[in-house]
Formats: sequence, structure tokens, C-alpha cells
Amino acid sequence: MSELGIPPAGNAAGRRLRGTWRGLRRFVRTQPLGAIALLLITTFVFAALFAPVLAPYDPIEQNREHLQGAPDGRFWMGTDDLGRDILSRVLYGARTSLLVSVATVAAGGALGTVIGIVSGYFGGSWIDTALQRVMDTIMAIPGLVLLLFVAALLGPSVLNTIIALSLLVVPSFNRVARGEMLRVREELYIEAARANGCGLWRILGRHGLPNLLAPMLVVLSLVFAIVMIAESALSFLGIGTPPPIPSWGRMLSEGSRYLEIAPWMVVFPGGVLTIAVLAFNLLGDALRDFFDPKQLR
Amino acid sequence: MTEYVVRRLLYGVLIVGLVTVFVFLVLRLIPGDVVRLQLANAPGVGEAQIDELTAALGLDQPLHAQLVTFLGDALHGDFGTSFQSQEPVTSLVAERLPITLQLGAMAILIGILAGVPLGLLSAVRHNSWLDQGMRLVSVAGISIPNFWLGLLLVTYLALYFGWSPPLVYQGPGQDLESNLLHMILPALALGASTMASIARMLRSSLLEVLHSNFIRAVRAKGAPETLVIFKHGVRNSVVPVFTLLGLQIGNILGGTVILESIFGIPGMGMLIFEAVQMRDYPVVLGCVVVYGAVFVLINLVVDLLYGVIDPRIRYARR
Repeated sequence: MSELGIPPAGNAAGRRLRGTWRGLRRFVRTQPLGAIALLLITTFVFAALFAPVLAPYDPIEQNREHLQGAPDGRFWMGTDDLGRDILSRVLYGARTSLLVSVATVAAGGALGTVIGIVSGYFGGSWIDTALQRVMDTIMAIPGLVLLLFVAALLGPSVLNTIIALSLLVVPSFNRVARGEMLRVREELYIEAARANGCGLWRILGRHGLPNLLAPMLVVLSLVFAIVMIAESALSFLGIGTPPPIPSWGRMLSEGSRYLEIAPWMVVFPGGVLTIAVLAFNLLGDALRDFFDPKQLR
Repeated sequence: MTEYVVRRLLYGVLIVGLVTVFVFLVLRLIPGDVVRLQLANAPGVGEAQIDELTAALGLDQPLHAQLVTFLGDALHGDFGTSFQSQEPVTSLVAERLPITLQLGAMAILIGILAGVPLGLLSAVRHNSWLDQGMRLVSVAGISIPNFWLGLLLVTYLALYFGWSPPLVYQGPGQDLESNLLHMILPALALGASTMASIARMLRSSLLEVLHSNFIRAVRAKGAPETLVIFKHGVRNSVVPVFTLLGLQIGNILGGTVILESIFGIPGMGMLIFEAVQMRDYPVVLGCVVVYGAVFVLINLVVDLLYGVIDPRIRYARR
């Protein structure tokens, strides 16, 4: 290839990286709310990754002499009914939340995107119809009902929570990927790839998918927000993350028994969850504005 | 029009049918023998009794035969009897469904009544402090988990105003006031995100309409601003809001599961939650199918309303 004047792959990768960096700088400059959201998400990921270092106490250590203590200098977010430090539990809960969300979005996102681009590429054919009927079926069941049904049948574990949540998010990715692919498949470069004798997966993977990245990134961010709420809802109902793994949803359900005695048991985990969800929603909105061709004018 | 209604209706029936098949298959594919689970608490049951119950429930038949029997019964409105209470699933659901529908309707009503004026004001006073504040409130509104909001409402109303909802649920027929007081907090918690979504959607949709050429023409002919906004603006920007409302129904129906269990409201959400914990499969199955049917039906109604709101939409076959 090099005799055609095309630089070797390593160089191209470097250029792409610099392009990403430049894009990121432009994003931060043009979308201030998106930049704040990005900062919040970075903090969230940082807190989750370094929870063992950052947490002042062991999240499952019980301080018998300090049950349901109000927030003070020693326990910044107070302690729960077993005397466990809420700040430490919130930090470890971020790990659970992040692990489940990333795994869900990866699994559900990959499956939904593949179904969507295949369906969109064959738009109108029987493959498309069959796949979309399955998606419609899943979407016809209200989200939490579907989760409750699948997660409860599989039994409470982190893996089963991820499976149930992935099933929930597949249609969201499918819808966007299919819609975009219906548009992209009419493009000249797809026809050129086909004329060059590219196989189906090469057309979809190398020529289709990269052109859907912008809208997929928006969905990714918004789905993250949905998954984080749904994971907490499942744990709240007692069929998500099993104890003693700290999870925000379970902390909320434990706290809901002591609302009037120890409101901090509910206020802090829920507040942190809301801020994390807010960050992903803001990022999604900002990405949409950023990629919107109308905004470029 | 009639053809469209019939076609949509048939599609809805198809989807509900597919939901039934899906739920049935998932239930049967899950490891764990239903019969052994049922008899686990009864001491001294022999293999003979297990076989007997298996045959009585039709579980010894091959899967496809079970499915056909099940679908046939379901078409007659028969979803079997609850393992737990031995009552027919249909009557259990019929008892609980109105409660959930009331909760959902109250939540949607709150969402519309608060969301529409907010979105309207925000679009009309574009970029004012009111608009900025509203955008912040609405993005927060879609981010707050409804169950957390519900818990906060209960906590702080009790702490600062000494008010808490009635302890025991009363039907609207028994004691309407107590019923409404019981329902208002979960409805508010559920309606908050609907309000926020409606406000956001109406704002962006109305802004787009208000910047279009025909609005400029209406203004140019000297129409008063209220007429411009309400007659020409809102009417043309309400269709996306309706689409959104159809999707929001799914969130609200799902949300009833968790809010009913927080507030002790004996609706469908409570029914399915308890049934799932007890592994009461016929009830679980019936509930999921009914939830799906309600969701599909409401979306059908929303689709048909498009034509009423915007007569330009023709239901021609694509």
C-alpha cells in the first residue's frame, strides 16, 4: 500500500488520536454544560476506581457504638442502621453502579447495534421485519416490569442484573442504529463498497458502523442514565445486586425504613445517584447539539 | 381511516400475542421445577403426588403443546389460577388493574398540567432567566429516580409539616379523600419526569414552529400574539409531545411497580412484585401480558389522536 502514498497504519492512528483530542477541545469550548457533565462523569469514574483508597472506612465494617449517626466531621454522610459509614458505602456503591452500567451498555449496546444495522441494511425485507417484531415485543413490556420479570426469574446476582438490563436496552440501540443505517445504506460509498466485492460484514463494519458513531454516542450516554436508575430500582426492590455488595439502590431501601429518624441514609445515596444520572443526561444532550449539523452553521 | 384503525388494532393484537409467547417461553426456560417449588413447603409428599400435580398442571406435555393450550386459554381470558391464593389470575388482575390505572392517570395528569405551561412559557420567553431555570428544572426532573423522589417527599413532608399519607389503603369508593391523599405522593413522584419531558419537548418543538415562515406570515398580517402562540403555534407543535407521551406511559407503568410497593398501594405493581417473589408463575405471566396490553392499547389511542390534533396527517398505507 505504501507505494500509493498512503501513510502506514501507525501514523494514521496517531492522526486519528489527535483528531479526537481536537474534537474533544471543540466540544468543551462549544458545550459548557457538556464539559461540566464530562467533569462529573470523570469524577464518578475516578471515585469508583479508587474507592478502596478514597473511602475513609471499610464499607461493611459496623460501628456498634455509632448507629445511625448524623453526618459530622468523622462520618461525613453519617452512618446507617448498622453503624456503617455511608460515604464509604456510597463510594463502593459507585463501583457496583459503574461495573453494571458499563457491562450492560457494552453487551446490550453491541447486540442492539448489530441487530439495528443488519435490520437497517436489509430494510423492508423479511429479516428486518422479523427482527423488528422481536424488538417491538420487548418494547411493549414496560421497562421495570420486564426487568422485574427477568431478574427475578434468574435470581439476584450481579451477572443476572446485567443480563436483564441488557435485554432492556437492546431496543434503544436497535432503533437508532436501524434508522441511521436506512439512511446510510443509500449512500454512494456503500454502493462503491458493494461494487468492490466487499462482504456483508465488511460493508456493515467498516463502511456502515463508523458513519453511525455520532448518533450512537448520543444514545450511549442517554442509555447510561437509564441503566443507572434501573440498576438502583432493581436493587431497591431486592432483586438486583445481592448484599453485602454496597449498591445505591439497596442503601435506599434500607434507609426507607428509617426515613424520619435518619433521612441521611436516603438523601446521600439518592443524591449521588441523581447527580450521576444528571451528568449522563446532560452529556447526551450536549453531544446531540454538538453533532447536530444545524448547529454547525 | 377505518382501514388504518383495523390494521393498527391487528398489529397491537399481534404484539400482545408475541409478548405472551415471549413470557411463556422465558418462564419455561428458567431452571427450577415449578411443581417441586410448590410442594417444597408441604412435608411428606412423595414422587406420586409430584407426578400427579405435574399432570394436573399440564406440565408433562411437550412445550409446543403447552403453548397452544396456554394461548387458547388466554384467548378465552383464562390465565390459570394463582399457585398462592388459588384464585383465578383474571379476577386477581381485574381487582388490581383499576388501582394502577388510577395512579397512572393521576401521574400523567400532573405531568401534563405542570409540563405544558412550563414548556409554553419557556418557549415564549426564550433565553430569559425563566427559560434557563426551566431547562435546569426539567433536566433535573428527568434525572431524579422516581422512587427516590417519592421517599424524599414522604420524609420531608413528615419532618417539616408533620403530614404523612394514610397508613391503610382505601378504595375510591370507600373513602375518596383518604384514597386521593394516599395516591397523591406516588403520583407526584411518577409525574415529575413526565412533566419534565413534556416541558422539554414542547419547548423545543414550539421554538421550531415559532421560527418558521408561516408564523412570520401570521404575525405580518397583524394577528395578536396570543392567537399566534395558541392557535398557530401550539397546535402545530403538539404532535411530538403526543409521541413522547405514548413512550412516557411505559415509564409510568413500570414506575408503578416500585412506587406501589413503597406506598403500600395494592395495585398491579404490588401484585406482580409479590408474585415474582413467591414464584407464582401464572400471576406473573398474566400481569406481564396485561401490562403489555395496556401499554400497546394506550399507544394505539395516542396514534389515533394524531389525526384529531393535526388533520394533515392522513393514515395512508406507506
